[in-house]
Amino acid sequence: MDLLCHVRDFVLAAAEGAGEAAKHGEGAAREAALGVQAFKRVGYLWLIPFFPMVGAIVNAVVGARLQKRFGKSVVTNLAIGAMAAAFVTAAVAFVDLVGQPEHERLLVNHLWNMFTAGDVQANLTFALDPLSMMMVLIITFIGALIHVYSVGYMAEDPDTWRFFAYLNLFVFSMLLLVMGDNFVLMFFGWEGVGLCSYLLIGFWYKDIDKAKAAVKAFVTNRIGDFGFVLGLFLLFWALGGQWEKRSVIPPHESRWALADPAHLYEARAEAGTTYVADPTLSPQTPPATYAEVEKLATPEGWRPGASIATRDGGKVRVGPTLSFRELRDQIAVESTGVKNRLTGLTFFGMPLLALVGILLFVGATAKSAQIPLYVWLPDAMAGPTPVSALIHAATMVTAGVYMVARLNFLFALSTTAMTVIACTGAATALFAASIGFVQNDIKKVLAYSTVSQLGFMFIGVGVGAYWAGTYHLLTHAFFKACLFLGSGSVILGCHHEQDMRKMGGLKKYMPLTEKTYLYACIAISGFPLANGFFSKDEILWKAFDAGNNLADPALGKVIWLVGWVTALGTAFYMWRSYYLTFTGEYRGGHGAHESGDAHGHHGGLPHESPRSMTWVLAALAVGCFLTIFLGLWGPAGVEPVLERWLEPVLAPSHALVAARGAHEGPLAEWLLMAASVAVAFGGWAAARALYKDAKSTVPATLAAKYPRLHRWVLDKYYVDEAYRKTVLAAIWAGAKACDLFDRVVVDGAVNAAAAVGRFVCDVDGAIDKYLVDGAVNFVADGALGFGRALRRVQTGRLEHYLYAAVAGALAVVLLTFLVQ
Amino acid sequence: MLPVLNNADSLAYFWPEMILTAGAMGVFLFDLAVAKSPRRILWLTVASLGVLAAAALATSHVAGLSPTPIGLFNGLLVLDPWAVFFKYLSWAVTALAILIAGPSLEVASERMGEYCALLLAVAVGMSLMASSTDMLMMVIGVELVSMVSYALAGFKKHDRKSSEAALKYVVYGGVASGMMLFGMSYLYGLLGTTNLVGTAARMNAQAAMLAQAGVAASVAGAGRVAMVVAVVLVLSGVGYKIASVPWHMWCPDVYEGAPTPFTAFLSVGPKAAGFALAVRILYGAMSVSGGADLATAVADVPWPQVVGVIAGLTMTVGNFAALNQTNLKRMLAYSSIAHAGYILMGVAAASETGSQSVALYLVVYLFMNLGAFLVVGIVGRLSGSESIFEYRGLSARAPFAAVAFAVFLFSLTGLPPLAGFVGKFHLFKALVDRGGSWQITLAIVGLLNSAVSLYYYARIVKAMFLDKPHTEERIAVPASYNLLLGALVGLVLVFGVYFDGLRQLAGSSVVLFGHS
Repeated sequence: MDLLCHVRDFVLAAAEGAGEAAKHGEGAAREAALGVQAFKRVGYLWLIPFFPMVGAIVNAVVGARLQKRFGKSVVTNLAIGAMAAAFVTAAVAFVDLVGQPEHERLLVNHLWNMFTAGDVQANLTFALDPLSMMMVLIITFIGALIHVYSVGYMAEDPDTWRFFAYLNLFVFSMLLLVMGDNFVLMFFGWEGVGLCSYLLIGFWYKDIDKAKAAVKAFVTNRIGDFGFVLGLFLLFWALGGQWEKRSVIPPHESRWALADPAHLYEARAEAGTTYVADPTLSPQTPPATYAEVEKLATPEGWRPGASIATRDGGKVRVGPTLSFRELRDQIAVESTGVKNRLTGLTFFGMPLLALVGILLFVGATAKSAQIPLYVWLPDAMAGPTPVSALIHAATMVTAGVYMVARLNFLFALSTTAMTVIACTGAATALFAASIGFVQNDIKKVLAYSTVSQLGFMFIGVGVGAYWAGTYHLLTHAFFKACLFLGSGSVILGCHHEQDMRKMGGLKKYMPLTEKTYLYACIAISGFPLANGFFSKDEILWKAFDAGNNLADPALGKVIWLVGWVTALGTAFYMWRSYYLTFTGEYRGGHGAHESGDAHGHHGGLPHESPRSMTWVLAALAVGCFLTIFLGLWGPAGVEPVLERWLEPVLAPSHALVAARGAHEGPLAEWLLMAASVAVAFGGWAAARALYKDAKSTVPATLAAKYPRLHRWVLDKYYVDEAYRKTVLAAIWAGAKACDLFDRVVVDGAVNAAAAVGRFVCDVDGAIDKYLVDGAVNFVADGALGFGRALRRVQTGRLEHYLYAAVAGALAVVLLTFLVQ
Repeated sequence: MLPVLNNADSLAYFWPEMILTAGAMGVFLFDLAVAKSPRRILWLTVASLGVLAAAALATSHVAGLSPTPIGLFNGLLVLDPWAVFFKYLSWAVTALAILIAGPSLEVASERMGEYCALLLAVAVGMSLMASSTDMLMMVIGVELVSMVSYALAGFKKHDRKSSEAALKYVVYGGVASGMMLFGMSYLYGLLGTTNLVGTAARMNAQAAMLAQAGVAASVAGAGRVAMVVAVVLVLSGVGYKIASVPWHMWCPDVYEGAPTPFTAFLSVGPKAAGFALAVRILYGAMSVSGGADLATAVADVPWPQVVGVIAGLTMTVGNFAALNQTNLKRMLAYSSIAHAGYILMGVAAASETGSQSVALYLVVYLFMNLGAFLVVGIVGRLSGSESIFEYRGLSARAPFAAVAFAVFLFSLTGLPPLAGFVGKFHLFKALVDRGGSWQITLAIVGLLNSAVSLYYYARIVKAMFLDKPHTEERIAVPASYNLLLGALVGLVLVFGVYFDGLRQLAGSSVVLFGHS
């Protein structure tokens, strides 16, 4: 441990910048009132998403031709090159960010204003703060590794170009999601990753089940998006947003040339008015309440561009905004009064912030596979395994966690929202882990484990331990990517077999895969030898210590207990998968792929994967070890590197969360840690006893003894079936009702109208039988008929044209008097 | 007092037009010199583009001479950002029309010199239209554009349709000019001057005088009728240039008969110049600044409402008439009528942002409409036909052209993320920002029209991609056409996403001499 501490100090010093010693007692600075977020303008951040975008476009447009003419290596090298370039640029940005003073660590790259409508101002602006920097490094680093791995994994697929185009497109979207400085860009990315997930799950779209899994993922995510968008609307409304343009901007300021925020924030605000919320600017004066600010700002309410001067000389632009930085400033700077306004607002009797938080979280439950919208993720395993590793474990599914951490200043204001998040996370963690107990498909085990681990992350961000949740996101990205890629290696080695009952004994055939899988198992099951222990333990401790951050102080303890039991289960099912796969004798069907299989020359025996794959596994395993030091606690008073790194981002919520905590003593922390280690050992021992070398008969006996329970869990508690019977049935019923309505009422009405029309026409002697068509055809025919009539006017005779011109002019003269 | 230069001093600001006039003459002579050369088309194209490049340089030079708008030739012409913007636009569309004509078989090789020289002359006319503030000068500009256009429309001498087009164009144009001149004579009688600067004040004074006590009601009424008739007749001339209802009827016949490269030019160049003129007369001269950046109409002539009604009618007639067309050139003619209607929405907004959106849309329209006609030219080059029949299965016969055409058509419909959407968005936004009930109604009519237009645009896309071709023969596309198509598609795509610069450019050009 002493050695570890030394390494940790070294990492810490590196992160602090050259030679600067670790500062103690940062707490005091934190307690001081928060000011406006300072930032640095840079011009190169756009390059990071640009490279994968170019890779995606080139491969999508000419990839097929390139592949045909020059072979696959051109396509794959292009994609990998794009990732490498993105990673290098991200590293440059990291160095730049580290060079900034701690509380000014925000790089902003404004490109252009996409559109402005009413108060909605959407800018193409990228921003990197410590949190998004961490995400970008994870995405580009692990993304690059997985690209390399995919070369081997997809070697036999003819559509390599399509796969890599999708993969690059995904990375582009994911980078957009985390780098966007506003909700619009985040939502673009949010939808983009959803699309890529759909495309990649259904990559082998000729298999109907895979195509169905893709559709399921897409539709489930759309349900979540609906909640997310509602939350956004509500928040925007609460900040004073409206559609109509308010006529307060002086004429010369309304020029679109000013729509560049670089000018807009300052110039518009100055051209409008700068309002001093605190005229004396003295620390003794209590900050102005919202009501006073409003009175000062304008008679009708907030205006776009009105800004409030803060005590330290900064300026906060108040009013509706989509920018994270502006939102943070409004809420974090007390004297704007925005925080008071938001906490006081209700929406149909419900506290608005809780509602906003819960709606945004609904979006997160779909993207990050939480109850009740987790059902798509296990099915998403239909996609190629590198996709499962990159999208459905390391990056995309953590978008919800990232979103909550990004908006920590908002979520921390509502303990109701925090409670909902933490409880959902805990329930999901336990629920998914229990399904993982009995699954036989190795990827399904990992899928449920991912759902469960995401639950842990939500416990973390739910109880206000944003850094711990984020740290678990990072460690999970490494160990779960390693596990998934390991399982991919196993699947490839066993000739596309995913059933663990048909594996066994692979240690002999795939030594490197086995070692990395073993280490990743150590990480996820929570032995203090790998990164997973440190992040999970921190989350559990913070949950135990949650206190008044949750609706009931006792709730934290309950969540801790649930997490603790889940940890036991996690250790058990992960070790089960390890022992089933790698120990004992190979149970695979010999010669199962006797004809036409590319692996035919190996006979039926498993084989180790190519180096490009195993080395990636090794790199990830090393990552699992090295990331320990990001979360390792030091001597008293020194926080872990990552916590310190994220501190500027989390500062707005820090004091609030800390004040509500239960403040349990260090003894409790040590006891809990011991309990964590105990469950890791317990789970491991149980799995070893039951599954090592496939000798024990207990599992079979148990399954036989409780067949219904086993069946029930094996079939995932029949949630899919329940959804089919309830939600989908309701949707189908609604669709049928609409169909019926359409056929009976609408068509009936149309037909009735048509009948009446025909009757009238018959009576009249006028023949206009075209009315009998349906309503849509009627409109179309009407349009075409109108067109024909117009054509008839266009006789081709010049004199008619001239009559029309003169008569038209006359008509316009008359019209002039009409419109008056 | 607005700065106005005398004739001698003005010449220093008149370089672009002088260069173009000399260039047009020069190209005629150059034509004789290279008459025997097998590469005469290349030489002539290069020479004409050289003249245009020189004119563009001269434009940027004279634009830099005076930071503020300035009157030239004792007030006949002006040099303001609005004029400069449309000068650049004119040079660009002329250059593209010359580029398209080179490989086209419709412009015979021995007549290329004539074609280029005439186009350069039209360019001068368009520049005069965009920069005139005096009614006389306006007539000269319009006539210069029209006269040369008549000749170009009948360029295919032995083609019956081409001759018919030219004849109809001449007669129609003559009547339209006559109506405009008639209106101008009224206006001169009422206002006592042919110069449009300060028209708003004069019209207001006129109205005030008629409203005075002691003026008989019949006299006052007659005065008002005269004013309205004068304004409407002047607008007829402009409406004929931009092909808006009810002065649009020449358009399909002429577009169909004229050689395709010139049709492409006609659908953008003179239309743009017409809009420059419309904005200068209506927004520039006949309105005064109201609150904020919005202008209000003056003196009992409610032109924004009238233009609004014309806009709605124009887009409706254009789109619905296009539904049944099977000849692509005719269909695009009606489509260009519909687009005149859309752009008129920006004029009807009668605001700075409205004028800005007009300028912005014309740039976008230049790329997508010229591109669409270019594809028509490519297909027509092989088959000599513009029937939709020829477009069946085009994706197999000329894949790149088919994809490009689809991009242009969807952009014309106004679908994101293409440039056409950006243009339309700003037109609608200008109108909605204005906020009155008829403005909103017009915007809704515009939206419905966009939906209708999708039908006939998508019909072509369907034919190109889903129908079976009647022959498997590949269409050979000259490399220069492919390059041009690629560039235009690129611009349509780029401006669909990045349009901030374009928007700022359009915004900064809405500075009109004499508009307060």
